[in-house]
Parts: sequence; C-alpha cells; structure tokens
Amino acid sequence: TLRLICTTTPVQRKNAGASGPEKYTDAFIKKQIEEFNLGKRHLANMMGEDPETFTQEDIDRAIAYLFPSGLFDEQARPLMKHPNEVFPEQRKIQWGEDGRPFHFLFYTGKQSYYSLMHETYEKLLNVQKHQDQLIAQDLPLQKEKRNLAGSRWLTKIELEEMLVEKVSDDDYSRFIQLLQKLVALPCADIEEKYIQKFSKEVPVQLQKVVIEPLQYDERGVAFSTGEGKRKTASATAVVYDNGTGKITVNGTDILHYFPVLQDREQLLFPFQFLGRIGKHDTVCTVSGGGRSAQAGAIRLATAKALRSFVTEKEVEFMRQAGLLTVDPRVKERKKPGQEGPRRKFTWKKR
Amino acid sequence: MLRNLRGFICHSLKLERGCALHTAHRDGLSSVSSPERPRAVFHTSESDPAKHTEQHEGRLYNIPLEEVNAVFPHGLPHRFQQQIRTFNEARVMVRRPALELLGYLKGSNLRHPAVRYVIYGERGTGKTMTLCHVVHYCSRQGWLVLHIPDAHLWVKNCKELLQSSYNKDRLDQPLQASVWLKNFKASNEHFLQEIKTQKKYMWGKRESTEEGRPLREVVEQGLARARSACDAVGVLLKELKLQSHRGSFQLLVAVDGVNALWGRTTLRKEDKSPVCPEELTLVHNLRKMLRNDWSGGAIVTTLSQTGSLFKPSSAYTPQELLGKEGFDALDPFVPIPVPNYSPREFESCYSYYLERKWLQHEKARTEDGKAELQFLSGSNPRQLDRLAGPL
Repeated sequence: TLRLICTTTPVQRKNAGASGPEKYTDAFIKKQIEEFNLGKRHLANMMGEDPETFTQEDIDRAIAYLFPSGLFDEQARPLMKHPNEVFPEQRKIQWGEDGRPFHFLFYTGKQSYYSLMHETYEKLLNVQKHQDQLIAQDLPLQKEKRNLAGSRWLTKIELEEMLVEKVSDDDYSRFIQLLQKLVALPCADIEEKYIQKFSKEVPVQLQKVVIEPLQYDERGVAFSTGEGKRKTASATAVVYDNGTGKITVNGTDILHYFPVLQDREQLLFPFQFLGRIGKHDTVCTVSGGGRSAQAGAIRLATAKALRSFVTEKEVEFMRQAGLLTVDPRVKERKKPGQEGPRRKFTWKKR
Repeated sequence: MLRNLRGFICHSLKLERGCALHTAHRDGLSSVSSPERPRAVFHTSESDPAKHTEQHEGRLYNIPLEEVNAVFPHGLPHRFQQQIRTFNEARVMVRRPALELLGYLKGSNLRHPAVRYVIYGERGTGKTMTLCHVVHYCSRQGWLVLHIPDAHLWVKNCKELLQSSYNKDRLDQPLQASVWLKNFKASNEHFLQEIKTQKKYMWGKRESTEEGRPLREVVEQGLARARSACDAVGVLLKELKLQSHRGSFQLLVAVDGVNALWGRTTLRKEDKSPVCPEELTLVHNLRKMLRNDWSGGAIVTTLSQTGSLFKPSSAYTPQELLGKEGFDALDPFVPIPVPNYSPREFESCYSYYLERKWLQHEKARTEDGKAELQFLSGSNPRQLDRLAGPL
C-alpha cells in the first residue's frame, strides 16, 4: 500500500494551523535582555560616560545624538529600549506537558476575564455579608463617600494590558458596572485596596499656573509682564498701574501702529472685560506675523499680565472667556495634488 | 474758579440726570430745566469768536446757518458739512490752538509785515476746523478773507491745462480758477464793490479793464471768459496785496494744505513731462501772496498730509511736509501745533453727540461706553467722528 508522503502545498499550509502573532520563547527574550545590557555598556563607553550609572534617559539622548532623524513620528525614529518594553507581553503556554490546561476556566476562552469577574463578585458577596453582620449587631453602617470625582476607572485598553488578553466592549462595560455596584454599597471600604487597583487619579484640570506677584519699579508704581504668541507673532507686554489707559507699541501710539479699528478692539478686550479701561498704562513690543496676528499676540500678553492685578475668580472668568488660551490655529500645509490646503485643482471634464 | 465749580457741579449732576433732580446745589446755577442743563455745560451761546476766551475752551459755539453760507462757501471739511446738514446747526468747538491764534491776531500790529502762521498736527486733529474758526473771526471783524479751501486741488486731478497767454512758460487751470472765483465772489461781495483797480489790465486783444473800476468787474471777467480766469485771479491777488499794504482794509490769507505749493504735482504736460508747481499760474501767484513783503493783514496756513502727494502718511511736521524749498520760503513763521482732544474736549464732544441723539447704542450712554470710545478713537477727533457714525 502506497502512502501519500509528498502532499501539495495548500494541504500543507492548512495543516500548519492558524498561528497567532509570533510567539517569543523565554530563551529568546533572555538573550535579547543580555544583548541590550551589553549594548548599553558599549554605548556608555562610546559616549565617554560611566557604564554603571547609565540610565534610560541617557540612552535616549545618546541615540538621538548618534542617529539624528528628521521624521515627525516619534515612534518611527531609532530607539533602544529594554526588551520587556519592546516585545509585547505574551501569554506563556497555558497547558502542561500532558495537555491539561493550568487554569480551570481555560476552556471558556477568556480565562483571565472570567476569573476577574468571579473575584470581584466574591468581594461583593463579602461586603454584603459584612453589611448583614453589622445590621444584625445594630451597629451604624459606615458611610464615608469615596471621592469619585477625582478618580476614574481603567480604560478598556488598560484593562487589556493588565489581563494580557483581548476584552470586548460588552465585557468591559459589564465589569465596570459590577465595580460600580460594589462601590455603591455602604461598607465597601473593606475592599478599598482591591478597588484601588482598578481606579486612577484624574489629573487636575486647571494646570496650576503660577500667577506672578506684582513687581514695583523705581517710582513705586506696580507693574507686571506677560507674553503672548499668535501665529508667528510674539509679543511682550508690561502693564503699569495708576495709568490713563494709554498703550504704546514698539515705541508708537496704538492709533498709529494699528490704523484698523478691529485690531484696536482686540487690544481693548482684556481691559473691557475686567472693567479697567482707563486705569492701566501698557508698553508692548511685538514682532513677526501680520497685523491681526500681532494684535492677537498683544491681547494674550496683556491678559496674562493683568492676571497679577486681579482676583482668582476673575482669572477663572478670563480663562473661560478665552482670554488666556493660546490660539492654536496656524497656516495649514499645502498638499500635493491640490492647489492649497483644501482647494483642489479645477475639475476638467476632459 | 467759577467755571471750575460750575463744571464740576454740572458734571456730577449730569450723572443723576435720570432721576429727579432736587438738590440744593442749584442755587448758584442757571435755572434752566433739566434737559437743557448739559447744553449749558458744554455749549456756549457766545457766537462771536472775538469774545472767545479760555473760559470757553472745550465748548461748542453755534454759527447761524446764513453766516455759514456767506462766510464758508467752500471752506469747511466735507464731513462737517454733512454734520451741519444732519443736525441743522453748525457747532464748532473752541480749542486752545484757535484761541492762541486769535490772541496773536488781536495783538498783531498791522503796520508790520504780515506774520505767517502754520497750523500743523497729526491727521484728523482739527487743523482745518481751526482755520475755519479763525476765518469766521476775521470775517466778523470785517477783514477781507482770501480763503483757499485746499491747495492740493490745484496740483492734482486737473483735466484741462492751457498754456498761459500772459507768460508762455506757465500753464493755466481754467476750471479750478473759475470755481474759486465764484466762491470768492459769494463770500466777499461788498468788498469787491468798494475796492478799485489801480492799473489798466488787458484781457486779450479786445477786452480790458480800466483803472478805477471795482474789482468785481475783474472777477466777472474771469468768470465769463474761462481762458482768462487764472489771469483774473493773479490780478486780484496783486491788487489786494497792494491795497492792503496801503492800509485801506485788512486782508487775511487763509490757505489749507499749503504744502501743496512746494511739493510735486501729478499733472503732466502734453509731452508727458511732469509739471513743476512753479509752472502753474495759480500756484505762482499764490506763492507771491504768501511772501511777507506786505503789511496790513495776516497769513494763516495749514499743512495737510491727507491730500498731499508723494509724502509718507506718518509725516506731519512742517519740515517733512513742506520740504526744504517750502520751509525756506515760509521761513519766519509761527508754528501752531494742534493736538488730539484733551479729556475735557473729548467729554464735550461726546456729550454733544449724546444730546443730539447721534449715539443710538444703549451701551454708548454708559461710562464704560465712553471709556471704550476714548480708547478706540485715541481721542482723535476724526476717529471719534467715524466711530460715532455707525453707533
């Protein structure tokens, strides 16, 4: 009986089995780590620094110096990092030599997710039991509200990274609902440590910008400086107290420097908003940009300078009015195949 | 002292205008009813410029409309004429430069050679209005006013240029000359009747004016025959100079935009070569007039950048605008700078607009609105006028 030994390539390919992303063996990762450490010492030697105290930042600086790249994308530039950061975390083989999987939920397909759900539910039951005990003993329930305003739950991507397996949207929402249910119970403080694993601090929105105190010049008049930019124009403004509302730009009066009403209205805006039109004198210097850009830059600079004269509440009002935000609009790049940033060439039928 | 007190009290009372006014302060004030009180502060009923003093500074005085037509057929700025038509009255503000000039004129000795005054300042600060104020004063005093509204009109945009019959090198501008003669006649009727010519003048081969005829005939000759209009102007100027030198009347030469006489022109001859101002008859005669070799009057001139040719827009000093030639020609002159509105003048202009309901916007009536207007216009009269228009 003849047995078919040589099989056709499609059959062979089917038999190979669907393999996922490239699996790195442990030995491979270990080798990469050794090579990285050796390379780090070589690099330190090259740069003339001490190999023992060569940190990751130093590596980054050295690579940027030795391989300068003009690419815009940070991730496309040459990099040298620890292999654990470069190679994504992967599952080690989940079953033993006899083919039996280690975890009891392996055959559900999402073993870590379901185990997590089971754990969380266990904690919930714990809390409920504790609550029942307290009610049975007629003790008051602790009602310390967790500050939910300053924290947020993990995002789906962060959860995926934690569990090293894909989590679908539905599953993620169910998990978050369970967590919220847990937190809503009065005695959830017991499981505080467990909950903290899944919550993150939200950074404070108002980036605390330090408002400089007023400075005093020789005559004893209070003044403060501010800088502003708008679309290639940069301006510095010095606002003096006890003034008549005069503004000097680059040595000339605003009536001569800005003949257009629109620009002067822009300059007026910060003072008008705070109601201090005739009270401050301003001396500004501005360069670059065009007429409108210079006006916008001076406006930002005066608003920043006026912060020192004004209460915190009014600073918040100014920020909400948009007086303190840098205008991010710049000229858009022209694309090839088009006449301008958005305008396409005239369409000709033939 | 009284003026200060009155101004202060009226200002504080103006703030409470909305509510009923029953305060004891009013004892020393006029018993005018409340809507007219602001009028009492910033307006003055003194309509004779001769009596204007520093007390009236910052206030607006009224010129009756008939006088406006008689004295200023062609002198007022265009926007001011529109304002007269809108408000149905002509209100001119009394300002310090004008008061200064009037002081000099009152104190000047007419037997000395005519003093030249040059009014200069930034754009839109009120030079032409100061000139008109002075012209009004002089016409009230009975002087003969030779008012050239804008010398720039004579050096640009001229459609017809004729070769002068009197002097072959020079060029005539019949249109401009006839327009000016018409206006001059309208403003100085009675003088033209009295003053007689001193010489015989020939207009071409057939017409002539005998000696001893009233100047009015010269003017009419110029108006009738466009060709000889420029020569008529020249004759007129010569006669007036001679006779005021003799002392029979006082002559005021008021020229607006005098820097046009010494700059360049935009006119070209037929062979496309540029025309120098000396080659124009009108300009030549006027320059002779502006020399201070005669007495019995005064010369008041204004510099103007707005109509000037080939000068940068930031130029406003006499040196820059007149150029070396003009400066030397006008050399011993009294410069009179005209600044922007002072706070007091600004307030009076603002309250005038409010009172005439020119500022319709409700925010314009508040203190903030006033501060905004002051900021945005930079206390410049022209800017304030243009800003207040759409409001």
